[in-house]
Amino acid sequence: MDAISITVNGQPHSVEVSPDTPLLWVLRDTLGLTGTKFGCGQALCGACTVHIDGEATRSCITRISSIAGRNVTTIEGLSHDGQHPVQQAWLADQVPQCGYCQVGMIMTTAALLAKNAAPTDADIDEALGGHICRCGTYQRIRQAVHRAADAGKPATSAAKPAAGGGAQ
Amino acid sequence: MNTSRTMRALADSSRREFLKSSAAGSAGLLLAFYWPPFARAATRDNDTDDNAGEPNAFITIDPNGQIRLVITRSEMGQGVRTSLAMILAEELDADWSRVEVGQGDCDPKYGDMTTGGSMSIRSTWGPLRKAGASARDMLLTAAAQTWKVPKGECSTTGNNLVVHAKTGQELTYGALAAKAAVLAVPKDVPLKDSKDYRIVGTKRARVDGQHIVIGEAHYGIDTKVPGMLCAVVARPTVFGGKVKKFDATKALAVPGVKTVFEVPAVELPPLFGEERKPGSGHQHYLWGGVAVVADSTWQAIAGRRALAIEWDSGPGADESTEKQRAKLAELLKTSGKELKKIGDPDAAIGSAARTVEAEYETPFLAHMTMEPVNCTASVRDGKCEVWAPTQNPNALATALASVLSFPQSALTIHITLIGGGFGRRLCIDYGVEAALISRAAGAPVKVIWTRDDDIRHDYYRPISRHQLRAGIDAQNNVTAWSHHIAAPSTDSTFLGGELPDTGGTEIAGTGLPGGTVPNYLLQQSFLHTAVPRGYWRAVDMNWNHFAVQCFMDEIAAATKKDPLALRRQLIASRQKPSGQADNEGDAPVNVERLLAVLDLAAEKSGWGKPLPQGRGRGIAGLYGFGSYVAHVAEVTVAKDGTLHVDRVVVAVDCGQVINPDMVAAQVEGGVVFGLTSALYDEITIENGQVKQANFDTYPMLRIADMPKIEVHLVPSHEAPGGIGEPGVPSTAPAVANAIFAATGKRLRRLPFQTQELAQS
Repeated sequence: MDAISITVNGQPHSVEVSPDTPLLWVLRDTLGLTGTKFGCGQALCGACTVHIDGEATRSCITRISSIAGRNVTTIEGLSHDGQHPVQQAWLADQVPQCGYCQVGMIMTTAALLAKNAAPTDADIDEALGGHICRCGTYQRIRQAVHRAADAGKPATSAAKPAAGGGAQ
Repeated sequence: MNTSRTMRALADSSRREFLKSSAAGSAGLLLAFYWPPFARAATRDNDTDDNAGEPNAFITIDPNGQIRLVITRSEMGQGVRTSLAMILAEELDADWSRVEVGQGDCDPKYGDMTTGGSMSIRSTWGPLRKAGASARDMLLTAAAQTWKVPKGECSTTGNNLVVHAKTGQELTYGALAAKAAVLAVPKDVPLKDSKDYRIVGTKRARVDGQHIVIGEAHYGIDTKVPGMLCAVVARPTVFGGKVKKFDATKALAVPGVKTVFEVPAVELPPLFGEERKPGSGHQHYLWGGVAVVADSTWQAIAGRRALAIEWDSGPGADESTEKQRAKLAELLKTSGKELKKIGDPDAAIGSAARTVEAEYETPFLAHMTMEPVNCTASVRDGKCEVWAPTQNPNALATALASVLSFPQSALTIHITLIGGGFGRRLCIDYGVEAALISRAAGAPVKVIWTRDDDIRHDYYRPISRHQLRAGIDAQNNVTAWSHHIAAPSTDSTFLGGELPDTGGTEIAGTGLPGGTVPNYLLQQSFLHTAVPRGYWRAVDMNWNHFAVQCFMDEIAAATKKDPLALRRQLIASRQKPSGQADNEGDAPVNVERLLAVLDLAAEKSGWGKPLPQGRGRGIAGLYGFGSYVAHVAEVTVAKDGTLHVDRVVVAVDCGQVINPDMVAAQVEGGVVFGLTSALYDEITIENGQVKQANFDTYPMLRIADMPKIEVHLVPSHEAPGGIGEPGVPSTAPAVANAIFAATGKRLRRLPFQTQELAQS
């Protein structure tokens, strides 16, 4: 069992684990970063999404040996105190119910917006199509992605009207 | 909280009194009061004194003005920590930013801590308001005494201050808390008029939202305790199967694997019942299997892969979905147990001008919470400490005491945040399993269920088949209605028997036609199966309501009536006066409120307005969990049979709304839950084993297929109804009825077999 070096949230780590260990379990069990969630183990639900060199990646099927020397960002490293526009939008739209899947949703959205500052509904469907929310918060997720995108625009642009339901 | 000793003493000394005050540990105010167990609806507004037991709910106001409420329900996304705090803050006229909540551990002093049945607000609304109002009154008294002015001249301002307007004096709640604590608790303090509400009925952010979005919300699976090991279990894949023998040699060779041992299969006590009834078909057990305990989760998973196990499958291996479906159809050809009979339904159907008949089917379903089943336990030195994502801590305590032969005093159960419950975590099998594994390993152990463990060892929503028959007279009136339900019992898991002697259970959702037609019959037949059953969000209301609401549409079509008009006619002709209960355990249905939500959903959806070819609307409405909810679904069916649900409009009368945004969220989620089951999901059994293993074979609705969901709330100051569950059941029948409107084809089986919709 050789030591494998990775950088997580800017901190270099050398971990001694079996090379086939998924990054998910290195984060959770070895480094104690439990913000990244286990949902399916087969890249079917998106709960385990982290950034590897900025790319949204399913950590549950990413062998640690395949990312030696790479930079990993988890929810713990996305922002200080939840100030990232995606996190702020998630709160503004009160997206989470149980919240378990939302960290993965937020990480994918943050990676999406870094590349595409004004995603269309189709872009959102494509980016988040691999994620599952059993509580059924998708309508608010879409709304929050648009809100976060708008927050990144110049201050002159008008706030997008709230989309979808919630009649009261 | 650091006042637990005071609270315990208080609880012990204040039997049969609703409210008791005391100085809190650090010279603040402690109020202890009583709220009833979850299973008893506070059907009468402010129903507290009559049923008062030992105080089991606790509020403190610290000298610094911080207000704390101990939450003795489980948070699993429904927002209970926020909504209960809002109710308290309203009557206390508190500064919302100074109210915080703490999760209570399982403790006898908290009484029944079960979270389910959409009951949390219903069971606490009255007592919580009264406690808040009493505390406020005591603060007013304390201020008046301090200033030596009439209490009537003092008032609160909603920001933790008592003021005396005449003199301009003011004191904070914190400054008054100690003085208030020594006052007698007032009786019959008036509650706020709902028109004065400034917190209840307003949108408030979830108190735990920030933790969730920064990844610091700690679910059961995130538990970490010193010296903890991780385990997975190889469980029998055939229900009722047992370990014959196993070879752990290779598993023990996996680096990090500490120990491998057999976990016994254990019969567990009924979850809500007093005791198991012999021969009742009670089924609630721990699966047993082989545990692999390692330093980390991945090592345990790798160790499990290396196990060689020979199983004794047992009689369950003969079961299959096809056999179960055939057996259910067979049961419907015989007479079932008669649960309700009005008039002479057989004769009325026999002599009817014409009859309408149909059969409906629903499948076994898994809960599939996003946080897989897990539990952490530490059993050492005669003590058991558990960190459990559970909706049912009291039943877990009972089972742990029984299985470990420990006194209750040796148990500590921490209730963690839950990543989705939906009823799965009312069963406590996984908590007992973790305790047995920790005891055998001699260390704290976190047992994680991988997704295939979770889906293959669930307590499933039962398979069912329904036979509906109606007699129609020459004037197109419904003269008779007959409903025969065939399904395995779910209550056998919870109550210890299939059918309590008092009458039928598992019939929610059948109620309304019974009161609307002169001749009515409800029958029930049980399928015996080794497949375990549990409560699944909205429970029996789902399968019964699907059959009833689809059948109403079939009658509408047969009598050439508009589906909404038929419902209006049936409901309006209800034989029982408004205010009489339809379902066991339910509060009386109010016909006007039911009609109002149907009308509101129809109005907001544009009911009756023409739609293009291939599109249609369907309606369904219910009274359940204390609330009135109606859905109109709008669908598009392509020529190749592809179904898309475009829009779901939901009208909700859940009485007094605490937090409208959270009500909308629960209903949005309920619709998605109902749609997922209607469109995709089915647990199928082959050779006694569940065939599905993960989200690829048990799909979920995803963002691209999300319909537009609109939630419309009926303003009301009636007592609050439940909202976690009643958004689910009307979804599937509303969509089925919309499919008929779009295509003229009836889909009577869930999930929808959309290939039947393709135009050849």
